[in-house]
Amino acid sequence: MGINRRNFLKTLGVVGGTLTVGKSFGAPDSIKKSDTEFSGILYDSTLCGGCQSCEIVCADQYGFPYPDDEPVPGVKRELIETRRVVVNCFNTSKGEQYMRKACNHCNNPACASACLTKAMLKTDEGPVIWREDKCMGCRSCMIACPFDVPKFDYNSPNPKIQKCRMCFELLQEGRQPVCVENCPAEALLFGKRRDLIEIAKARIFAEPEKYNHTIYGEHEVGGTGVIYLASVPFEELGFRNDLGTVSYPEFNKTFLYSVPAVLILWPAFLLGLHSASVERKLNKQQKEEES
Amino acid sequence: MNREQHTGFLKFITYELKPKGKILTPFNVISIITILAAIVILAIRFTSGLGSVVHASQERPWGLWINFNVITGVAFAGGAFVVTFMVYILGLEKYRPIVRATVLYALLAYIFYAGALLLDLGRPWKVINPIIGNSFGISSVLFLVAWHFILYMGSLFIEFCPTITEWASLKRQRIFFASLTLAVVIFGIALSTLHQSGLGALFLMAKPKIHPLWYSEFIPILFFISSIFAGLSLVIVLETIGQRVFKDNMSFLHKSSHRYIMLSLARICTVSMFVYFFMTVLVFLHGKNYTYINSPWGYWYLVEVLGFVLLPCMFFLYGYRRRNIQIVRIAAALTIIGIILNRLNISTIAFQWYDRSVHFPTWMEIVVSFAVIFVQILVFRWIVRRMPVYAESPSWVTGEKQNKSFTLKDKSFTLNNKRRKKWKVSTK
Amino acid sequence: MEGFNKVDIFDTKGIEYLFVIGYLLFLIIFWNVVNKHERITKQIKKVISTLSASILRIPQGLFYNRYHTWSHLEESGVARVGLDDFLQHITGEVKFTRLKNPGELIDKGDLLTQIDQDGKHLKVFSPISGRILNTNSTLNEVPEIFNEDPYKKGWIYKIKPSDWMKETNSCFMGEEATIWSTEELDRFKDFLTGGPMRKYSSEPSMILLQDGGEIRNNILSELPNEVWIDFQKEFLNFTH
Repeated sequence: MGINRRNFLKTLGVVGGTLTVGKSFGAPDSIKKSDTEFSGILYDSTLCGGCQSCEIVCADQYGFPYPDDEPVPGVKRELIETRRVVVNCFNTSKGEQYMRKACNHCNNPACASACLTKAMLKTDEGPVIWREDKCMGCRSCMIACPFDVPKFDYNSPNPKIQKCRMCFELLQEGRQPVCVENCPAEALLFGKRRDLIEIAKARIFAEPEKYNHTIYGEHEVGGTGVIYLASVPFEELGFRNDLGTVSYPEFNKTFLYSVPAVLILWPAFLLGLHSASVERKLNKQQKEEES
Repeated sequence: MNREQHTGFLKFITYELKPKGKILTPFNVISIITILAAIVILAIRFTSGLGSVVHASQERPWGLWINFNVITGVAFAGGAFVVTFMVYILGLEKYRPIVRATVLYALLAYIFYAGALLLDLGRPWKVINPIIGNSFGISSVLFLVAWHFILYMGSLFIEFCPTITEWASLKRQRIFFASLTLAVVIFGIALSTLHQSGLGALFLMAKPKIHPLWYSEFIPILFFISSIFAGLSLVIVLETIGQRVFKDNMSFLHKSSHRYIMLSLARICTVSMFVYFFMTVLVFLHGKNYTYINSPWGYWYLVEVLGFVLLPCMFFLYGYRRRNIQIVRIAAALTIIGIILNRLNISTIAFQWYDRSVHFPTWMEIVVSFAVIFVQILVFRWIVRRMPVYAESPSWVTGEKQNKSFTLKDKSFTLNNKRRKKWKVSTK
Repeated sequence: MEGFNKVDIFDTKGIEYLFVIGYLLFLIIFWNVVNKHERITKQIKKVISTLSASILRIPQGLFYNRYHTWSHLEESGVARVGLDDFLQHITGEVKFTRLKNPGELIDKGDLLTQIDQDGKHLKVFSPISGRILNTNSTLNEVPEIFNEDPYKKGWIYKIKPSDWMKETNSCFMGEEATIWSTEELDRFKDFLTGGPMRKYSSEPSMILLQDGGEIRNNILSELPNEVWIDFQKEFLNFTH
């Protein structure tokens, strides 16, 4: 009687397992078939003059105070909750070079994957935006982001997560992000990521001594929407070179994929153990009664 | 409920709400002061923002409340799934005396420590979002952990309901809840496996930020195994304190099986820590971390693994072999320190380890952390003094699922008494 | 840089497999170390079965001392001393060592003899004082004598007692000796379950004893040295 019940449950478990997990286990990643392709920004450090126009217009656009310090070599200016884009100056092997830092709008962003309310969202168009109506301020996005981009309003009772949103509302109107529109050196270029990569490659090909032969963001962390060109290796410009080319949500894959499996297998296994121990106890009792 | 029952119920509640025992004990005084201070601090925190009370940092977004109360505290609640596994699944009656207390402790731990998570949320009024389906961030590990916390709290509560119904003399309800026990225990064990490892999985994406000696893809598995002996060590400490503090509430059979239970738990701890140690070494080999050992971080890692994992493992072994409860207690204390160290290392100490600035929590954070723990202890004490957690079930409870010690043949117990006869020396 | 150098993502597998093999071996050893004393408990449990008071031989005319020695004064005025049937039953085949030589003086409470078995030993103390006239040499030549006939052929010494009346005052005799022997058997069962069991097992003694539990013959021969030491300290030397 007990054995039949156990077998039944096991069959149920296997059937249930294949139905729910079978399709997605080892199944190809779901790729949305749509016409919208990712947009991105190309930043060419060799053209950047450190004028901070991008910082100023961004502050204008989003109501932040203007920057009160300038990029100086040796001083590391960081993104803060009142500054969504920052320009730094570095002493490199080819002299002083500027490097801008803002959200990289990754192809498969760690922040969006870590967000349990979908407040951080990777839009179909490309920008990764933060939605105030959903955020509960858990700051998992800050833990997950390999670039340490999102910043938090610690000193406000109604805190927000602050990071570049590629002027998403303006993009809907057909405009470009304000930093791109207003860069006097034309160091910033907005367009489809696919086109930007081609342009970047063309630039390197056209002037191979001028550029470092890497497009940062082409493959890093699975590819980012904001890609960078520079004249020197990127480690000299404050970039990390150990972030890998795997998109960060992949790190959670094994764990998250095994959750349904555990929820199916454990109960069946535990029921089996339980029946076995009950049977053993009954046998022992019977033996004692007989003797 | 008719009027009589209604007034009877009210009288019962008001009687139960009165404090039993002395009010002005040192513990009461310290905990009440801490809790009052914490309330003030939290009022400030909610009106002026998190940064006003917490040593806020953009590089280390999670402070003491999440890192200590949630990630470390929940590990200690792991005793519930281990003990319920042994009692209800494997049928090991010898642990039955401690099952209720362990489940109660875990229930309160989840309520208050997961509750502490709410304190660390920047916008806690939005916490309802991932729950009501406004937006399920299903790719998020925290989503999974949060849901599991809620479901597991429900499971623990249902597991604890028989005790509540016995206290409130709800006989039919007791039978109903007791019938749910097995299902809820099984569900609880599956949930526990996942969320104990899930707490570790929260850090999987922080690979570039955690020191390589502590980061690996195996963090979830290590967290799960360590929650086993963390929970049991805490049960040992709980039992030790309980035997003294709650001895008036304890059934005699529980008091007399104390030694036996402690030693049995010691054995499980020593074996699970042995396994955990080898898993740690395996992870170490897998990550080719030998290059990091010869550095300050390496020494700190060795202190944690050798001093607070291997050493207590050996202490548990020694205490079990020599049947020495004192050594078992020392081992449990060392283990608890080791778990705190390990969890804090991964979440904050070795997190952003290349950032030279020291981030020590503010005294306000510490006060609130302790206040949460004190509240949990006070509620625990309130319940234990009134409900049959350590005490025996009321006499109207029938059937095998009583809160009694392992079933002895009563004969054998009285036999031992008989043997205590005095032998006289005959003189001529 | 990917795609330009050889990368082996499984290069640690070799060490890991070796490590796992080492771990499994260690686990076997560790598990045995953890559970070593469970074996003693299991032995004791198996063995609580067949020594009962009814088979103990207790000749009524001898003086029994609480160290489980007997003494008997013969008509010639020479006393013979030996070990009682209780000790014989629980130890089994033993060798007598540290025997005293004829002519030596012995006091009450001095070491009478030591009985050895496989590296385990028990010290027995003298019930009377006097001068040793004879030592029984056949004890070690034919060891079974002690087991078959501990009271006649199994005598240990013939002693000329110096203070017979006073020293045998506190001994048991006759019916009292029988009662005392039965109680000693109970006390021995208590010792087994309370002492060694408590030390080497984690189970409370309550569960183990069944009503009328008997002990197997020669039980101490099956138990390890630690139990012999405990027996010496707690049972034999116990003064009450």
